[in-house]
Amino acid sequence: MQTKLLTEHYDKPEFQTLEGYKKYGGYSVLPKALKMDPKAIIEEVKASGLRGRGGAGFPTGTKWSFLPANGEPRYLLCNADEGEPGTFKDRLMMERAPHQLIEGMLISAFAIGSKKSYIYIRGEYNYPTECVRKAIDEAYKAGYLGKNILGSGFDHDMDVYSGAGAYICGEETGMISSLEGLKGQPKLKPPFPAVQGYLRKPTIVNNVETLAAVKYIIRDGAAAYRKYGTEKSPGTKLFSVSGNVMKPGNYEVPLGTPLKDIIFDLCGGLKPGRKLKAVIPGGSSAPVLTADEAMRATMDYECLAQMGSMLGSGAIIVIDDSNSMVDLLDVIMHFYHHESCGQCTPCREGTGWLSKIVHRIHHGRAEAKDLDLIKKVSEQMMGKTICALSDAAAMPAISFVTKFRDEFERHIERNPSRTQEEAHA
Amino acid sequence: MFTLSPEGQEFVKKELKRYETPYSAIIPALYRVQKEHGWVPPEAVDYLSELMQLPAAHIKEVLSFYTMFNKKPVGHLHVQVCTNISCSMNGGRELADALCKAFKVNYDEISPDKKITISRVECLGSCGTAPMMQVNDKYYENLTPETAIQKLKELGA
Amino acid sequence: MPKIKINGKEYEVPQGSTVMQAFHEAGISIAHYCWHPGLSVAGVCRLCMVQIEGMPKLQIACNTEVKDGMVINNTSDVVKETVKWILDFHLINHPLDCPICDQAGECGLQDHYMEFGAYNPEMAEDKVKKSKVVDLGPTVVLDSERCILCARCVRFTDEVSKTHELGIFNRGDRSEIGIVDGKPLNNNYSLNTVDICPVGALTSKDFRFRQRVWYLKEADSICPGCSTGCNVKVHYNEEGLWRIKPRVNMEVNGHWMCDVGRSTYKYVNIKNRLLSGRVGRRDSWKEMSPASTARMAGLKLKEIVEAHGPDSVALVLTGQYTNEEYKDLLVYFVTGLKSKNVYHWINNPEKINDFDGLLFRGDRNPNTKGVEAALKRAGVQGKWEDLQAALSGGKIKAVVVAGPEDQSVFPDMEEKHAMFSQAENLIWFTACPSAVLEKSGCETFQIPVKTHAEKAGTFTNYQGREQKFPLVTTIVPQALTLSEVAEIFSGKELNWNLRPKSLGGTKNNYATTERGAL
Repeated sequence: MQTKLLTEHYDKPEFQTLEGYKKYGGYSVLPKALKMDPKAIIEEVKASGLRGRGGAGFPTGTKWSFLPANGEPRYLLCNADEGEPGTFKDRLMMERAPHQLIEGMLISAFAIGSKKSYIYIRGEYNYPTECVRKAIDEAYKAGYLGKNILGSGFDHDMDVYSGAGAYICGEETGMISSLEGLKGQPKLKPPFPAVQGYLRKPTIVNNVETLAAVKYIIRDGAAAYRKYGTEKSPGTKLFSVSGNVMKPGNYEVPLGTPLKDIIFDLCGGLKPGRKLKAVIPGGSSAPVLTADEAMRATMDYECLAQMGSMLGSGAIIVIDDSNSMVDLLDVIMHFYHHESCGQCTPCREGTGWLSKIVHRIHHGRAEAKDLDLIKKVSEQMMGKTICALSDAAAMPAISFVTKFRDEFERHIERNPSRTQEEAHA
Repeated sequence: MFTLSPEGQEFVKKELKRYETPYSAIIPALYRVQKEHGWVPPEAVDYLSELMQLPAAHIKEVLSFYTMFNKKPVGHLHVQVCTNISCSMNGGRELADALCKAFKVNYDEISPDKKITISRVECLGSCGTAPMMQVNDKYYENLTPETAIQKLKELGA
Repeated sequence: MPKIKINGKEYEVPQGSTVMQAFHEAGISIAHYCWHPGLSVAGVCRLCMVQIEGMPKLQIACNTEVKDGMVINNTSDVVKETVKWILDFHLINHPLDCPICDQAGECGLQDHYMEFGAYNPEMAEDKVKKSKVVDLGPTVVLDSERCILCARCVRFTDEVSKTHELGIFNRGDRSEIGIVDGKPLNNNYSLNTVDICPVGALTSKDFRFRQRVWYLKEADSICPGCSTGCNVKVHYNEEGLWRIKPRVNMEVNGHWMCDVGRSTYKYVNIKNRLLSGRVGRRDSWKEMSPASTARMAGLKLKEIVEAHGPDSVALVLTGQYTNEEYKDLLVYFVTGLKSKNVYHWINNPEKINDFDGLLFRGDRNPNTKGVEAALKRAGVQGKWEDLQAALSGGKIKAVVVAGPEDQSVFPDMEEKHAMFSQAENLIWFTACPSAVLEKSGCETFQIPVKTHAEKAGTFTNYQGREQKFPLVTTIVPQALTLSEVAEIFSGKELNWNLRPKSLGGTKNNYATTERGAL
């Protein structure tokens, strides 16, 4: 069931080095790409139907085509600020195959006419950063970076920038702010980054996995890429599976693979005696699926959207019946409260409000009407802010209290602390 | 008087020229301060403002926004235990509590021997190898309280 | 120009306008906190939500550019419900203690709450605790709990004053405005941050807790602090003036004014004023009413001119009076007394062309251009050296001085007074008492005059722009304008029934007039 397109050689330690990477066909697509018309590369990527692998799922080729058609300097930024709870695939890609990313970025940069790119890596990722820095050094020495790459006349410089601990820098304009030396606060849109991004210059921000995939689209052609996945979700995708499964980890499968196959076949199912309770299919901001929904879901953009959830970053968090949904929502809400950048009022205040209500429910000082309040507050947080962090907090809140309302109500009824207070009185 | 080492000052000056805007050098400069001092004392803001010729309030904004900069001193081993969802489901919170108990410190405090500080942090991207801890720059994964305590003792706690 | 529809009515707006600007221009009310016409768009308070036909989500007006044919609405139920909630988000961590807040009565939160607030707040959680009474610098105090993080003040120090003292530190609902220790908010424009703060977070040390704003009246005026002539609003009551705030005039001062200009209200108030005329010299003064003093001085002038001719008197004008006054006084002096000895006293010639790049000018007179024009028109542009020569030669028996209203900007007061005192008689118009005048060695007439706030008139600013301003209030009813002085000098009587009266006089309220520490 695994379809190792991007991860084919990830089991070989030498794939991390330039030499090892070249041994398995590395940097063989770049020369081909440099001889192509940049527009043809964009068209190929468009035709492949590749969608952003970072979370939003926006069609990559379309994003590229928003760049203004003039000679203005433009930047390519690789988003490696992997922070969506449950996600750990970009880390793997940078550790195992940094040159794959660099080659994908060079092809993309050539396509969009960018002479400078940055890989923005979250600060906590020390080892991945080391791997990427080393690979960039190797690539410069080998002439894959710098002036007149492979005699093509194409110049490109690449650098790494380390974040310093802020989930919001995974949002593309938050990342741009951070790279500009500001607080990582998302920028107002419009203008969109393709028009005015990094330092107000046209900028394309793509996820690690997206940029790496570009290499394979150019190598094999859009049609070949489309053989994987579904009509609307072509290609393969790395899924980070965590939580209560026997074999958590990253798995590359074609989009459209049934979720139950991933959980029960690839990941070895649940611990003995445990029952599936819920699955968060796309990172902690994706609305939760009940066990029943999870058994029916296929891992593609359209099926999950139809179920009211989303594919997100491809982080599958499997929840068995040993967990309290109240407890888990408390953890999730604490996270968004901690990470809200604080610019937009509904998010700044709403994330704190939600976290406090859920915490209160968890610790037994709540009433049934608090569940309705959670829904009301969450609804008012959605679609009202500069970026989607507010929505990312609201969606799990709504889905948890809606789909697991019984459990929340039971928890409130038990009301341990009130009983305690009464006992003391 | 707060200061960076001569090499540190050289580093900051180079970073100022490395990016398209000098502001981009703030995060690397703050990292440098932390590397040399173990944390970023408030005086560093004024110092960097002078050194980099950038507004102090701006540097303080950046410092305060990012969690990786220690705004107060930490022990030689800064142990950060992830307690986000996947880690919590696999005993991350219990791991953190066990470490505090074993090394007799409260969260975010320095042990009396200055050797260790234990913090609970948000997702570090090790969800598939939960629970985990980050000790200074390094990740340790697939832990139990016993293996974690053992590891920290090996590291000198 | 794009044609758009707002709440069912058609408007034509300039190309490139935002929806917010369109509302603003059309005078249609739209809730907002972070947007300010003089600052960049932040788009963070999220209060200015509008519904635009064809767009699935509500949009913020401040960051949406109008397009021809746009149909915009901010009165629908969806918008109202959303705005009500966003206001609620603003309020959940905001103290609800308006009665003890200094902003009460002019607070954006209060206004919007009264208009469409949720009267049944469901927030049952503990509010976030933040710093109270933070000393930001010599002029401004911060209450972080009241702050709604609209970032106007931070944008002001970044974009307008470019002094960068303020920042927003931390993140999420722990965010707080602040300064870096040892780098206070200390620039000549700092109090604009208080003006643009939509809530009671930033307050002026000079004004906070001294008056309830609903007891204050306001009137338009022109700042007398320098030759820029910022358009201002003066806030006052029967006790006097309490504060000055800028009034928008894009051609003069935009949205702002400087802190120096704001402090000009102080010398206007009664405790700083000269209340009666004084005649005499060092250690020997006689008090009488201003009008009687003027009458006496007028007779003296007449006497001297009759005895020694028109060249035995001189008139010295500062750039601190109105065009109307210059005209009347010059008519008396040049046409009446037939003297051509008229001179312009420039207080600090070496700084007169200084400019801070924003508003504040080295010429600390509101009407230098006005006095120059008046002198030119009257054909009397005496050279300062001639006056000096005539005085030391003993040719001049009396000098009439329209002295500075604001003595603090005349560093050469003592030096010039000594020079003028070479004459036997000195007739000096002054709004405030002066230690220098008290030491006069010659026969001196101190005539109390009105300040700019107590008279209507015109100042001509550095651009040559004539700016009319009305009488704000009367602090010292018996004080005279120069026009009135000219009338009395000419032997006429003032019509006392037509003269403005004061609003009521001083209340002895030490709680509000004596300032304690911060």
